[in-house]
Amino acid sequence: MPRRPLRRSQLVKHHPLTFSPFSRSIAQVGFISMGNHQKNGSLIHKSNVPSSSAGKESVDNNVESESDEIEPSDDEEFDGVIQADFEFFDPKPDDFHGVKTLLQTYLDVKEWDLSGFADLILGQPTVGTVVKVADDEDNGIFSVVSALNLYRYKDHKCIVEIKEFLRRVCQEKNMRDDLKSLLGEEARNVGLLVSQRVSNLPPQLLPPLYDALFDEVSWATEDEPTEELRKSFCFKFYLVITKFYELKSTSQKRRQNSKTSGDEETIYVKPEDEIFHKLSLWSVSFPLQTQPVPPHELRNYRLMGLVMVVEAEKIPTVRQELKSLISES
Amino acid sequence: MVSGLQFENSCEVGVFSKLSNAYCLVAIGGSENFYSTFESELADHIPVVKTSIGGTRIIGRLCAGNKKGLLLPHTTTDQELQHLRNSLPDEVVVQRIEERLSALGNCIACNDYVALTHTDLDRETEEMIADVLGVEVFRQTIAGNILVGSYCSFSNKGGLVHPHTSVEDLDELSTLLQVPLVAGTVNRGSEVIAAGITVNDWTAFCGSDTTATELSVIENVFKLREAQPSAIVDEMRKSLIDTVV
Repeated sequence: MPRRPLRRSQLVKHHPLTFSPFSRSIAQVGFISMGNHQKNGSLIHKSNVPSSSAGKESVDNNVESESDEIEPSDDEEFDGVIQADFEFFDPKPDDFHGVKTLLQTYLDVKEWDLSGFADLILGQPTVGTVVKVADDEDNGIFSVVSALNLYRYKDHKCIVEIKEFLRRVCQEKNMRDDLKSLLGEEARNVGLLVSQRVSNLPPQLLPPLYDALFDEVSWATEDEPTEELRKSFCFKFYLVITKFYELKSTSQKRRQNSKTSGDEETIYVKPEDEIFHKLSLWSVSFPLQTQPVPPHELRNYRLMGLVMVVEAEKIPTVRQELKSLISES
Repeated sequence: MVSGLQFENSCEVGVFSKLSNAYCLVAIGGSENFYSTFESELADHIPVVKTSIGGTRIIGRLCAGNKKGLLLPHTTTDQELQHLRNSLPDEVVVQRIEERLSALGNCIACNDYVALTHTDLDRETEEMIADVLGVEVFRQTIAGNILVGSYCSFSNKGGLVHPHTSVEDLDELSTLLQVPLVAGTVNRGSEVIAAGITVNDWTAFCGSDTTATELSVIENVFKLREAQPSAIVDEMRKSLIDTVV
């Protein structure tokens, strides 16, 4: 077969910036099992597992995207373009190990009830999505998103530990009072937005992923069996715990002709964080105790934690801006 | 007795520690909880040594050993080698070997009498294993996996292997090893047995995700319920007294 010039797609640019061997091996698995697929057409479609809660319509979300025709390449001649079919599923108890691995770096603390937290996410099939690759025998999880009501789970050890962590981290006086009310009286209306993924996940997946999450939240306010559960999804605020890179020494003089492109002060690991941060009610950044080794391009940056509160009314704006951000990049 | 613990939120206890009947190695950099669990169980009977291998913390997967010896990969630094020689009892022969497959813990599974090894191990390494560890060496696969050190874990009393091991394979391995074997999982369904559990003749440590069913299987197959460290010596003494009478 003649070799056609391969168009470099978004899938290629991200060489795995992963710091866990698990996600590196998942990226490998994705590549190996996709090498022989010659599918055109939909990159993403959502499928509902039959055992999910009653009253949910199944949504077929076919996104047409340009798919490169690639030849089934050998491992040695890997040119960098792979085709992948990602599928969205409701969280199931089987997904425990994958979800737990993605959540390893969620908090900075040395030891907390991570398994319990993973169980909470998996125990909520109505709101929450897990991204897997089609026909993957290893059942690897590439991303997980969910929204957990802080009041509903307030007695769980992991939520208590998360609240402790937040209190410790928000040292500023005015934020502390806000935080206290959010974690205390207002907890019924606060949703903890959890979103973790492997770092080389194609960004085209993000708008449908967040659409799915926020749609599920609004459906849950109508479809949940009990009044209390329905109310528990009427979030007024979303709490986001995430990380970003900050330039190490802010006293560095920014030269006009800087060699490195984009010597910006902050670099967001996840693109939607920038939108959330812009529209947030308030946010706090804090230094992390555990510093992973940064990739070469980011050697001047230091990883910082970030806690943001976003009002639920701003969510439609977030969705729109995310779509335009992804489609233009 | 089986204890469930975590190393920095990871339940892969067998990656960060190595347990035998004569010593226990633990990785540096974990929380105090991790050490204290080991020390409270073991410190009265065997030395618990904190170390790194080749500057890494994954010591359980890099080294292989039993009560007679300890094999280290070529990536071990001289200081680490010296530290281990100083800290371990004199009866334990500490040897660094030149082997291309440097993750010895993944390639070799052994107790005090028998060792199972990766099929591609060098001839010289096999002889070293037989010499230093004083064991009989068999090249084997487990459920089609060549990394025997990862997918099974056995002591002198019993063993746990990959859940997909066939019945014929189980019988064959059991005859080779002369201990009862059971196919099962650890850490809530993880198939990488040796990463999730580390065991010797009287105690075992596994990740805190391990379910109650898995724990009871482990207690049964490794005969940990009645096991006491002094029982190993007492059993011998009883049999001697019998012959006198």
